[in-house]
Amino acid sequence: MAATQDAKGKAEGADQNFDYMFKLLIIGNSSVGKTSFLFRYADDAFTSAFVSTVGIDFKVKTVYKNDKRIKLQIWDTAGQERYRTITTAYYRGAMGFILMYDITNEESFGAVQDWSTQIKTYSWDNAQVVLAGNKCDMEEERVVSVDSGRLLAEQLGFEFFETSAKDNINVKQTFERLVDLICDKMSDSLDGDPAVTAGAPTAKLTDSAPPLQQPGCNC
Amino acid sequence: MGENMSKPSAKPFQDVTFFTSFKPYNPPATNDAAPPRPSIFSTLRRPPVAKPNDFIPLFSDCITAASSRTQEYLIFKDPEDKFHPSPDALTQIFLMTYISQSVNLNLTDIFNCTAMTPEQRILLGADWVWAVLEKSTKNPRIQIAVQVLHLSDKEGGEEDGVLPETCSESVQMAQRESSDRNMYERMVDFCTSVGKDCYALFLFFGRKNDKSNIYGVLSNNFEAAIGKCDKIDRALLENFFKGSRYLHTPSGMMQSIVTRNEGDPLTLMIKFS
Repeated sequence: MAATQDAKGKAEGADQNFDYMFKLLIIGNSSVGKTSFLFRYADDAFTSAFVSTVGIDFKVKTVYKNDKRIKLQIWDTAGQERYRTITTAYYRGAMGFILMYDITNEESFGAVQDWSTQIKTYSWDNAQVVLAGNKCDMEEERVVSVDSGRLLAEQLGFEFFETSAKDNINVKQTFERLVDLICDKMSDSLDGDPAVTAGAPTAKLTDSAPPLQQPGCNC
Repeated sequence: MGENMSKPSAKPFQDVTFFTSFKPYNPPATNDAAPPRPSIFSTLRRPPVAKPNDFIPLFSDCITAASSRTQEYLIFKDPEDKFHPSPDALTQIFLMTYISQSVNLNLTDIFNCTAMTPEQRILLGADWVWAVLEKSTKNPRIQIAVQVLHLSDKEGGEEDGVLPETCSESVQMAQRESSDRNMYERMVDFCTSVGKDCYALFLFFGRKNDKSNIYGVLSNNFEAAIGKCDKIDRALLENFFKGSRYLHTPSGMMQSIVTRNEGDPLTLMIKFS
């Protein structure tokens, strides 16, 4: 465990006991529902009022996998172009991305390729990506078919889900799949070249030994 | 100026030329395919077009309400010395009063206010962000990131206004993420990353020599100060007032912002109360 304790043995501030910490980012065009998606996952809440995200924000959620405690630091990014400098600065060290579009908005789907390029440009090679077509509760306003979404995901090498933050469809599943992909990748990397994970991106988030430097990954 | 303009006659009905200027209306040859021409009187019924700067007096009203309310608590002296409003409480009083007033005045469609989450306050250094919105897209056209400075703040802005024991886990994480810069620098960095149409406004709830008034220093060019100094601190920000005799009003500040040429640097000192 990467518990952080001071010399007196007291836990340092809030709960910091965890086996792994994964930094995840949600990206995609403005108003596709990134913030709602995160609120649904982290707080099981939804509001239809649209408040455009300023810059960047994040939430923390702990999940368990094979008796391991995984802390997810989930970054919610602003989709507007004016924040691009600040949001891409946070791509560094991200282990997973949820690339989101809105099934009722063709333009947001058309921008997926650009967002994918942004990931390649600003993130590391081992980052895992899940493509999410959000707002699938709005079937009557759909302009992007499920097949189009799936085909694009295949072409880009991403996993794919259609989701609804409003109706809580595939929200948890999307995150769980992303965590699985990251764990698989970590296992592969550790079986192969250990240098791949040495000095891994989350190192700065903990005051003690970075969780990813532990030998082996059983998550 | 104006000498060449003809003056209307004082007695138009006795003026022959006045009547001859009215010519009988000859309708143009009708063309069934062409849409009917609108009557000239229809222009009188045209709804007034909102001008881009119409929101400024409303913004000023909201600021007046928020500043006055905050000032009441700023100058409050408890005879029994039991009540000490915390810096956070003062910020919330200002913001809540501003928000309720702006909702009442229907200002939020043109000029909105986004309060930051506790994590964003640490990461971006701002307590809230005002934005002049693009009419068609509702995207921000101009932004003002606001950080409140309290007289009780420790120097350096490292304390982030949150006591360690009350910090949530995510707030502590945010502090670790941003530990390389103080709160002032984080906000300047944020504004610089957005561009010259994003201003940083440091709002002083009382200054050393005037504890009961609210002042501000606004700029889209604070990064120039970073280049000249080792770091941005309260002393540097207070120094801006020493070099300036003129203090803008909140509406004067907004007027300067909306009329500034794109890309030009702008630095202003403002008195809000």
